[in-house]
Amino acid sequence: MAAHHTEIKARRNRRWIIFSLLPAATLFIVLTAFPVINLLGLSFFHVEWREGAAQFSLVGLDNFTRLFTQEDIFWAGVRNNIIFAVVAVSCQMVLGFSMALAVKTAGSRGRAALTGIFLLPIIVPPIVIGTMWRLIMGREFGLANTVLGLVGLGPVDWLGNPDLALASVIFVDVWHWTPFVFLLMLAGLESLDGEVLEAARIDTSGRWQQIRHVVLPMMMPTIVITLLFRVILSFKVFDEVYLLTSGGPGTATEVVNFSIYRTFFRQDQVGYGAAMSVVTLFSITLVIILARAFVQRRAARRQAAA
Amino acid sequence: MHEVFKRKAQRGAVRALAVALLMSAGAGAASAQDKPTVSMAINQSPWLNSFVAMVDQYEKETGNVVELDVSPFGGLLEKIRNSVRASEGSYDIVNVNSLWLSEIYSGGFLAPLADIKADYKLAEGVLSYGNTTNWDSSALTFSADGALLGVPVNGNVQVLYYNTEIYDRLGLQPPKTWEELAANAKKIQEGGENYGFVPRSARDSIVYNFTPYVFSHDAAFFRISGPNEAEVVINSPEGLKALETYVGIATEAGPPGPGNIAQGELIQLIATGKGGQAIAVIAAWGQLQDPNSSRVVGKINAALLPAGPGGTVASSAGHWVAGIPKNVAPEKQEAALAFLDWFAQKQQQVEYVRAGGVPVRGDITSADLGDDAAFGFIEAYSENAQHAVMGLPFANAAEASDAMALSFNRAVIGELTPTQALNQAAADLAGVLERAGFKVSRLPDL
Amino acid sequence: MTRRSLGAVVANSIVWGYAFLILGPTLWVLSNAFKYKIDIITGATFSPFTWINFQELLFSRQSDFLMNLFNSAVIGVASTAIVIVIATMAAFTLVYLEVKPWVRWALLGWALLFHMLPNLTFVGSWYLMYSSVGLHGTYFAVIMTHAVQNLPMALFLMISFVGALPRELIQAARMDGCTYAQVFWRIVFPLVRGGMIAATALTFIFSWSDFAIALTLTSRDTMTVPVAIATFAQEYDIRYGEMAAGTLLSIMPALVLILIGQNFIVRGLLAGAVK
Repeated sequence: MAAHHTEIKARRNRRWIIFSLLPAATLFIVLTAFPVINLLGLSFFHVEWREGAAQFSLVGLDNFTRLFTQEDIFWAGVRNNIIFAVVAVSCQMVLGFSMALAVKTAGSRGRAALTGIFLLPIIVPPIVIGTMWRLIMGREFGLANTVLGLVGLGPVDWLGNPDLALASVIFVDVWHWTPFVFLLMLAGLESLDGEVLEAARIDTSGRWQQIRHVVLPMMMPTIVITLLFRVILSFKVFDEVYLLTSGGPGTATEVVNFSIYRTFFRQDQVGYGAAMSVVTLFSITLVIILARAFVQRRAARRQAAA
Repeated sequence: MHEVFKRKAQRGAVRALAVALLMSAGAGAASAQDKPTVSMAINQSPWLNSFVAMVDQYEKETGNVVELDVSPFGGLLEKIRNSVRASEGSYDIVNVNSLWLSEIYSGGFLAPLADIKADYKLAEGVLSYGNTTNWDSSALTFSADGALLGVPVNGNVQVLYYNTEIYDRLGLQPPKTWEELAANAKKIQEGGENYGFVPRSARDSIVYNFTPYVFSHDAAFFRISGPNEAEVVINSPEGLKALETYVGIATEAGPPGPGNIAQGELIQLIATGKGGQAIAVIAAWGQLQDPNSSRVVGKINAALLPAGPGGTVASSAGHWVAGIPKNVAPEKQEAALAFLDWFAQKQQQVEYVRAGGVPVRGDITSADLGDDAAFGFIEAYSENAQHAVMGLPFANAAEASDAMALSFNRAVIGELTPTQALNQAAADLAGVLERAGFKVSRLPDL
Repeated sequence: MTRRSLGAVVANSIVWGYAFLILGPTLWVLSNAFKYKIDIITGATFSPFTWINFQELLFSRQSDFLMNLFNSAVIGVASTAIVIVIATMAAFTLVYLEVKPWVRWALLGWALLFHMLPNLTFVGSWYLMYSSVGLHGTYFAVIMTHAVQNLPMALFLMISFVGALPRELIQAARMDGCTYAQVFWRIVFPLVRGGMIAATALTFIFSWSDFAIALTLTSRDTMTVPVAIATFAQEYDIRYGEMAAGTLLSIMPALVLILIGQNFIVRGLLAGAVK
C-alpha cells in the first residue's frame, strides 16, 4: 500500500517536473528557434531583393572578414561600448545598492516617497527619455545649462562636444536604468533573514562593517544576477544613443547595437548585420565567462586563505 | 494643429464639403462605392491632416473608401518592407520617403503603373523630383526611360530660410551664391546675438544637407558611366570646393558644436529667432508660421538655394511617393491608382495646399491660392522643386550615405581635413558601389 | 556620536540630492504637457498654461490614445502574468529538483543566448511567422512575443530569488510527504513573493515600454502607447508637448501599480518575518 502510494507520488513528481518546464521550453522553441537560427544562418549569406523576391548568396565567412578588416565604425563602437558598460553599470550598481539601503533604513513615510521617486525614470518610455534629455542637454536653451548658468558656469555643449558626448550619454543611461538595480536590490534586501541581520548588528562594530561583511555576502546571488543583466542590457543600448546623438559627433558615441541597427535595418544588409550580432554575442559570452572565472578564482583563493 | 493652418483647413473643409454636395447632387451614382476599399500605409506628419482632408473629399465625391494605417515616421519603412515582401501584401498603397525609394524600386516590389492602367502617365504639371518616379531596372537607377512606379503625394525640397527682421536690421539681401550666403552669415554672426547660419551636420542628416552644395558646384557623388559601371567623382576639385564651402560656413558663422545639430536643434534655433539663416525642407514652414511653436511668425522668408560658381542650383529632394505593390489584387491596384490619379490633379492639389499640404505640382502659384502669408512658401518651393536632385540614385543609397556621413561629419568637427574626408568618402562609396554590383573606377586621391 | 550624526547628515543629503536629480528633470518633462511648443524649446520654466497638448492627444482624429492605453494594459498584464508564472515554476524545478543537467543547460543557455541578441534582428522573422498563420495584428501575437522576450530575465531573476529561500524549509516539506506541486504552491510561491513582485514590476515595465516588437506586430486596433508616442517624433516636427502629455497619462497607471507593489513588498516582508 505504502509502495503504491510512493509510486503515485513519484509519478506526480515526474509529471510536475515536465509540467513546470514545458511552458518555458515550448515558448522558446516555438517563438525563438526560427528567428535565432535564421539570424545565425544569415551571417553566412548576402541577401538582395530583386523582382520582389529575396536572393540569398552563400558568401561563407566574407561578412566576418569584412567586419574584421574594413569596419572601423563598428570597432569604435565596441570600444565605446566597453567604456559605456564598465562606467554605466558600475555607477548603476553602486547607486542602486546604496539607494536600496537608504530606503530600507528610512522611516515608513520617507520610504514610500523615496521608492516612488527612485522608480520614476524606468517607467518613462525610452523614446521620451531620449528626446527630452536631448532638449535638457541642449547647448542653447537646455535646462542643464540654465541651472549651471544660475551659479555662473557654462554653457556646456553636452552632446556636441566629442570629448563630452559619451559621458553625457552614460549619464542619461545611469539616470534611466539605476531604478532597475534599485528595485532588485530592494527585493533582495527585503528577503534577507532579519534574525541574522540583528545578530550581525550586535556582533559587528559600525554600519559599514555590517554592510561589508554581512549584507554584501548575503546579497551576492542577487548582485551577480543583476550585474549580469545590466551588462547584457548595456551592450544592447540603443534608444538613448539613437535619440541623443545618433552615434556622433564623429564616432564619439557609436555603440554596437546602433551599428547593428544601421546595418541590419537602415541599410538592409541583413547578412552583414547578422554577422555583427554574432560577433557581439561571442564577445559578451566571453566577457561573462571570464568574469565568472575571475570571481570563482578569487572566491577560491579567499577560501584557501581563510 | 497649427493655428494658421487650422483656419485654412477648416475653410478648405467647408469648401470641400460644398463641392462634394454639389457633385453628389449632380451625379447620384457616384456616391455608391464602385471600387474596393484601398488600404494605405502612411506616416504621422505635420501634413497628415491635410492629406486626410483630401481622402475625405475623395470618399465623398466617389463613394470609394481609402483607409489609412498611420505609423510613426521611424517605423514606416519597416512596415512597408514587411508588407511588400510577404506573399500577400496588407497595403494597396505604400507611402515611400525619398530616402527609401531606391531600395523599394530596385527590389521590384512595386507594380509599374502602366501595367495597372495601359499607357498610364503622370498628369501634366506633376513634378517628378529629378525623375524619382521612374526606375530603370537595367541601369539600376532613376531615369525618365524607366518604368513609372509611383505618384508623388507630398512635395518636399530644401529651401533657404532667412529671418527678415535680422536681414532688415543689417540691410542684407537674400543671397544668390554661396559666397553671398557666407558673407551674410558672417555679418549676422558678428552682431553677437544671432548665429549666421545653422547647418544640419549630425551624422544622420549631413549627406542630405551637403548634397545641394555638391551638385551646385557641378560635382556629384558618382556618375553612372555605362551599364553597371560607375565612376566615383566626389573627390574632384569641385567636390573639394563644395566641402570647403560647407565646412567654412558651418564652422565660422554658426553655432558651436555643429557636429550634433540635427533637425530638432535646427528648427529650435530658427523658430526662436536665434539663427539667422538655414537650409531646411519646406515641410518646416508650417511650424515656423505657427505662434504656438515659433517666435518668428511672419518674419521668416523662404528663397531659392544659393548657386555654385557656375550658376548651378540644386536642392535635395525629400518628397514622398506613393507606390502600388505587386502583391495585392488587380482590383485593389486599379482602385489605388484611381485615387492617386485623382489626388494629383490641379484642382485637388490647390485644395491640398489650402488644407496645409505641400503640392506635388510645379504649376500652382499665388494666383491659385490668393495673396495670403500662409502660402508665402509656394514660389520658393516651386523654384527649388525644379532643381530637386537625388544625391545617391542607386539601390544601396542608405548604405552609401551612412558610410560617407562619418567622413563629412568628422570634417565638420575638425577631425579630418576636407581633403582627407573626401578621399575617405570616395573609398567608402567605391566599396558600396562594388558590393552593389557595379564595375567601379574612381578619381585619383586629392 | 557627533561623527555618527554628521555621517548620517551627509548620507541623507546624498540620498535626497539623488532624489532631486530624478525628480527635477522628470517634473520638467511632465510640466511640458501643459506648455506650448515654443516655451518648451526655449526652455522656459514658467510659461503660459495650456491644455492644447491633451486636446491633440485625446481628441484629434489621428490619435486614439485611450485605446492605446487600454491595449498596452491588456498586453502588459497578460504577458507579465504568463512570464511570472512560467518563470517561477521553472525556477523552482531547476533550483531544487533533480533535473537532467543537459535540460538545465539547454534551457538556461538558450535563454541567455536569445537574450543577448538584439530583438530588432528578430522582428522581421516574427512578422513572417505570425502573418503566415493569420495572427498578425492580434493581441495574442504581441502578448506571446513579449512573454518570450521577457522570459529569460524573469527566469534568471526568479532562480536567484527562489535560490535564496531557506533550503531546510523545502527539504522539511518534502520529508513531510508533500508532492513537488504542493511544495511549490504552499511553500515557495508565498515565500518568494517579494522577489516575484520585483520581477513582475520589471517585466511589466519592459512590456509597457517596448517599441520594436509592438511596432511590427500591432495593427491600428492593437497599437500600444510607445508606438503612439513615437508618432509625435515626426520628420521635421518633434511635438514635445504631446509627447509629454502622453507620458504623463501613460505613467499614471504604472505609478499606481508601483505604489501598490511597494505595499506588497512591505507586507511580503512582514509575512517573511513570521516564518
